[in-house]
Amino acid sequence: MRAVPLCPVDAIAEGAARGFDPDDDGQDTLFAVRTDGVVRVWRDACPHAGAAMALRKDGYLNAAGTRIVCHAHGAEFLPESGHCVQGPCLGRRLKPVASDVNAAGQLCVLIP
Amino acid sequence: MRITGLETLLFGLDDVAGAARYLTDYGLEPARVSETGGRFEAIDGTAVVIAHQGDPRLPAPPAPGCRLRKTVMGVAEASVLDAIEAELRRDREVKRLPDGSIESVDDSGFAIGFQVSIRKPFSLAGEISNAPGGSVFRPVNHLGAIGPDAAVRPRSLSHIVYFVPDVLKAEAFYVNRLGFRCTDRFANVGPFLQPGGSLDHHSHFLIGAPPFMHGVEHFTFHFGGPTAMMTNGYRFIDKGYQAFWGPGRHILGSNWFWYFNSPFACHMEMDADMDLHDASWTPRVVDLKADNSQTFLLKFRKKWMPGPGIPENGDYA
Repeated sequence: MRAVPLCPVDAIAEGAARGFDPDDDGQDTLFAVRTDGVVRVWRDACPHAGAAMALRKDGYLNAAGTRIVCHAHGAEFLPESGHCVQGPCLGRRLKPVASDVNAAGQLCVLIP
Repeated sequence: MRITGLETLLFGLDDVAGAARYLTDYGLEPARVSETGGRFEAIDGTAVVIAHQGDPRLPAPPAPGCRLRKTVMGVAEASVLDAIEAELRRDREVKRLPDGSIESVDDSGFAIGFQVSIRKPFSLAGEISNAPGGSVFRPVNHLGAIGPDAAVRPRSLSHIVYFVPDVLKAEAFYVNRLGFRCTDRFANVGPFLQPGGSLDHHSHFLIGAPPFMHGVEHFTFHFGGPTAMMTNGYRFIDKGYQAFWGPGRHILGSNWFWYFNSPFACHMEMDADMDLHDASWTPRVVDLKADNSQTFLLKFRKKWMPGPGIPENGDYA
């Protein structure tokens, strides 16, 4: 298991999201969201069609910061579980990415 | 029924300021914009109008999750409004609004409006290619590339694509009640529809889809040509927006396309150079597959040029 640092975990504020391109693909492939103090990392791929989800750089949430939104067809997901509660992939789930915070306070994704 | 095409799309959403920024970055001109919403116009005055989703003045959406609240179409003259009103009153309510337009609902639950067209005539040359052997050329010393400081603006509201639960019923309404023609069709998916007062390949495309998809797939404005469209799309990505599909060129309609994620629970496209057809055109029916959807498909790349220090395999590494 290899830990790839993304950013200082404190850089992601409550109710905010941030996208990352750890493999230098030319666009973000993961994103992190902080909800109720917990930072979770998800694949940037909607379960509906695999599409990249952001509206614009780091734009993964609704206006209130309470739902993850896929801006392809408006699917909405619970940030705690990744479950789709509205839209074309209703009942399906975002793919979680294992993550950790290292001793230096860096949010890291764990790559097998 | 001389319906001339789309005039205004009305959306209700939760982040009015974000959508206003998005539409302005897309190239539309803000007109009468406030914190509660506003109107964003192309060169000919066709527009997207946004409001907060809780605004009680908005018609109901066809399904939960759909942010489109009304599609307004234009007609050539007031007598057509009267004819549409009489036709629709046979089996549904039709409202006359204070601005003289009429409002009703189609057979798929989408609110529809009709108004005497407010499209402003304008004259602005489209993209012209200097093709050997051709008959139309750019004037000598006129440049084809769009300079970094030159603005690109959408010219006119082009088309909208609905996901509908019963595509045969949806098509029958537009064809039999409103005088649209089918110009081409994806078999087992749905028709491209052209209103009677337009030559554009389509103003509507209907996709049969499960009820939980009921809503909009995309909508788009026409740009002045492929160079304008791709320059604008490239700048849009530079501003941080997320491309979905394209750039490429469709086969049915021939329009150049580039689709982007949007705040409207659907994609927003940029398009250019759509075919024109009249009633003598025979619709094609093709299977829906990637090879029938586009003549070619490209993808955004960061700018690059050959020179010292390039990777061993060049740009296609």
